[in-house]
Amino acid sequence: MSPHTKLLTSLSLTLGTTITISSTHWLMAWAGPELNTLAIIPYTSKSHHPRSIEAAIKYFLVQATASTLLLFSSMTNAWATGQWDITQLTHPTSSLLLTVAIAMKLGLVPFHFWFPEVMQGSPLITAMLLSTMMKFPPTILLLMTSHSLNPTLLTILAVASVTIGGWMGLNQTQLRKILAFSSIAHLGWLAAVIIYSPKLALLIFYLYTLMTITVFLTLNSTKALKLPTLMTSWTKNLSLNAILMLTLLSLAGLPPLTGFLPKWLTIQELTKQEMAATATALAILSLLGLFFYLRLAYYSTITLPPNSTNHMKHWHFTKPTNTTTAILATLSMLTLPLSPLILAIT
Amino acid sequence: MAYFVLLLGVGFVLGGLAVASNPSPYYGVVGLVLGSVVGCGLLVSLGVPFVALVLFMVYLGGMLVVFVYSVCMAADPFPETWGDWRVLGYGVVMVLMLIVGVVFVGVECWKTWVVTVDSGSIFVGRLDFSGVAMFYSLGAGMFLAAGWGLLLTLFVVLELVRGLSCGAIRAV
Repeated sequence: MSPHTKLLTSLSLTLGTTITISSTHWLMAWAGPELNTLAIIPYTSKSHHPRSIEAAIKYFLVQATASTLLLFSSMTNAWATGQWDITQLTHPTSSLLLTVAIAMKLGLVPFHFWFPEVMQGSPLITAMLLSTMMKFPPTILLLMTSHSLNPTLLTILAVASVTIGGWMGLNQTQLRKILAFSSIAHLGWLAAVIIYSPKLALLIFYLYTLMTITVFLTLNSTKALKLPTLMTSWTKNLSLNAILMLTLLSLAGLPPLTGFLPKWLTIQELTKQEMAATATALAILSLLGLFFYLRLAYYSTITLPPNSTNHMKHWHFTKPTNTTTAILATLSMLTLPLSPLILAIT
Repeated sequence: MAYFVLLLGVGFVLGGLAVASNPSPYYGVVGLVLGSVVGCGLLVSLGVPFVALVLFMVYLGGMLVVFVYSVCMAADPFPETWGDWRVLGYGVVMVLMLIVGVVFVGVECWKTWVVTVDSGSIFVGRLDFSGVAMFYSLGAGMFLAAGWGLLLTLFVVLELVRGLSCGAIRAV
């Protein structure tokens, strides 16, 4: 890709995100995600493989439809109430349409069908951007309008997302699709609690982003795209492989790792809001996800593949440790004891 | 006058129907043209004729022309037509869905009222012209964001169609 295009698209990614999170008018809140969508299309179709181009087209169509719904909901609200303020979305039809539009952008069930295929068609780093940075503006829009959203709809979306994210991830061997379903499940947890405690939802998003970026950077260092490749990754970078196991278990939400914190606080908040049944359902349905995280951790670290290498070290020299991956991995495994500090800050 | 606006509204829905049930992009643009022409009429009825003229110029004169050029490069050479039974059936089913929708919502929605988007009695200027003037004064940031978006679109499209056979779908 030409350097000019790279510069322009990377600047536009930051500009689009910044415009959305700092906007008060619905028009700018619509323009930001549009900039993001346009900017990430060349990254998705970089390899010009038919699957990548199809993924780019699917991403563009879905996000454009969701942006149209967003604009429609804001215009309905403007027609009914006469103002375009994001925090004053009082018309009930508008808030329903907005929830549907953001659910399409985030990949919440039942608008999730595009997400695994788009992730599979993109390169690893683009898939990382798709599942972390491109989810940030729609989450912030949900946060800004959280007091006018319909609780029933969000709870239905949340429970369905956790179910489908866990269930559909069970039969996958391609790592990017597994991480797509993991993203759907985590965003389900976010949607469950966003009305009751928006700051907790933001914390869920930050911790999920941290853990997902760690996993993607680890996979990128060994270029592992599917489960069989993961099985021989222990020869390439031994310590990173062990850390991958712990990071995957952190994504699954096992104590004493960091990923337990969002689930713990969500269950506490939902119980305080007299929604213990929802909390129990979410916790039990996350066990489905735990199974495929365990399978990934098991196959990458505990099992020796049948086509094992005869030699413990791979043919090329050891790569130097990537500082970013190391720092993010440490943060994504060991920050549970800091939870009082995190709760005091957020 | 109100009935003319109602006719424009019906034309808009029919244009959307034509786009949705098109057997090929060549026939879809017919629906787009119909929809945008009556949409411009609806904008005039709302009281913003300048926006209607801008829509004509940019949408029909710019975007549709570029769309037709790209469709010529990529669409199939022997498309189905409107007269094929499958396409006709598809269109009939959509009209049926429209009728069901109207029945559910109630016939109230067919009662028309003519509303104009005026600036009330406070402003002196017209809403559409003064809006464009706002673009160059108070809304300069939005202007820059819009210009940046257009530049980005140009580069993204150039990047997507770069290369003869390793670009996107091409029939030529």
